[in-house]
Amino acid sequence: MQKRSDDRLIAYLDGELEMAERREIEAWLDTDPAAREKLAALAESANLVRLAFDEVMHEPLPDRLIAAARGETVSPEPGAQVLPFERRPGKGRAPATRRWWIGLPVAASLFGLLLGGGVAYLSVAKLAPGGIGGKQPAVEMAAADNVWLDNAAGYFKLFVSAGDGAMIDVPATGDSREALQKISQSLPQEVRLPDLKPWGLNFRGARLVVAEGRPAAQLVYTTDNKAIGPLTLIIGSSKEPDVLPALARRQDVNLLYWRHQGRSYALVGQSDVGYLWGIANDVAWQLDAI
Amino acid sequence: MSIRFSDQLIAVLPRLRRFARGLAGSAADADDLVQAACERALARQHQFQEGTRFDSWMFRIVQTIWIDQIRARGVRKEDGDVAEERLGSDEPVRRVEARLALDEVRRAVDRLPPDQRTALLLVTVDGLSYKEAADVANVPVGTIMSRLARARIALQLQLEAGGGMRRSS
Repeated sequence: MQKRSDDRLIAYLDGELEMAERREIEAWLDTDPAAREKLAALAESANLVRLAFDEVMHEPLPDRLIAAARGETVSPEPGAQVLPFERRPGKGRAPATRRWWIGLPVAASLFGLLLGGGVAYLSVAKLAPGGIGGKQPAVEMAAADNVWLDNAAGYFKLFVSAGDGAMIDVPATGDSREALQKISQSLPQEVRLPDLKPWGLNFRGARLVVAEGRPAAQLVYTTDNKAIGPLTLIIGSSKEPDVLPALARRQDVNLLYWRHQGRSYALVGQSDVGYLWGIANDVAWQLDAI
Repeated sequence: MSIRFSDQLIAVLPRLRRFARGLAGSAADADDLVQAACERALARQHQFQEGTRFDSWMFRIVQTIWIDQIRARGVRKEDGDVAEERLGSDEPVRRVEARLALDEVRRAVDRLPPDQRTALLLVTVDGLSYKEAADVANVPVGTIMSRLARARIALQLQLEAGGGMRRSS
């Protein structure tokens, strides 16, 4: 049976006491070693409880829960929520699975030239192959106008294929904020850095890219956990209306993208979509982007 | 369906899963619980009052469904049962791996009476204030305070008995 003092000690630990009561407890703790010991033990057990359930926060969200939250039913096929490759014109034609991102190095080079010449924008739409035809699922409709996702996936593939650190304009050596400041100087809006260390993801640096025809930051994260990383997060500015988070897929690359209050976001990687949802949630909360 | 509503729901899913994991014990049961809560929330989204806390509303739905489930199964324990159990006594004496220790913590939480477990998960794990937790559980603040204290003391005793927590020297 707990004592009345236990209630108060726990409330003190939880920051739930008024000032007068807090002082009373502190005076008691000052003079009673047993009370101090009990307080330390309570704090330790509370930490253990938090730790015991914290790992749930870093698990990938199951598809069925995402579907349930959207009022959808999920197909039993694995990965059914991931969008198929964008359909090309021509009924029944197989998608071009290899070529769509080859133009990206050109895009990147052009963008560098344009920046040097003081030109702010580049039309990404010209880089995108073809339009999208046929009736599409609701979630895919959201992707229809986002040809920039082709490029976002391409930037990711370039980073992966180029090797560790080769495609980073501003490496995160020392203070990562400096890398962000440097990148932000070339962007219409300052970019904030989400901390993804709880996911085991380390920020490696940033790169200037193009998203929706505007300069954007590609933040690069790596991890030893191949189930999660590497990942890139593109943050750009946008004049398009807000869109809710949606999934897209380009070859073996998954993208989770959304727009919020004049910014576009694309989380890109080859990890399970459940992880992407979880990490995107984290990003959105940290950046007030939802 | 409102996009904003669905966005909020997805954003709170990780916390709902954590809460449900603590309530239901197993991962599969917890996700079933969250899925049921999502479905109920969508069906009753018109009942959500703008300007109030969406997360608290969802926690309440999860908790309500869970209570309904355990009542239906007839497995609810009365408060005080735990104190009479020799919890953790069948656990290995030595416990060097953190994972095992955390497993023991989860089991200890699982053995708490439902009301205490709810208070513990809302306040200690999710960081809600006593007032917020009281709103979720639909009980007075004093009741939450009392349930929480019982849960914390019982948990500490169980962990010490099982060796999952080092004894203070």
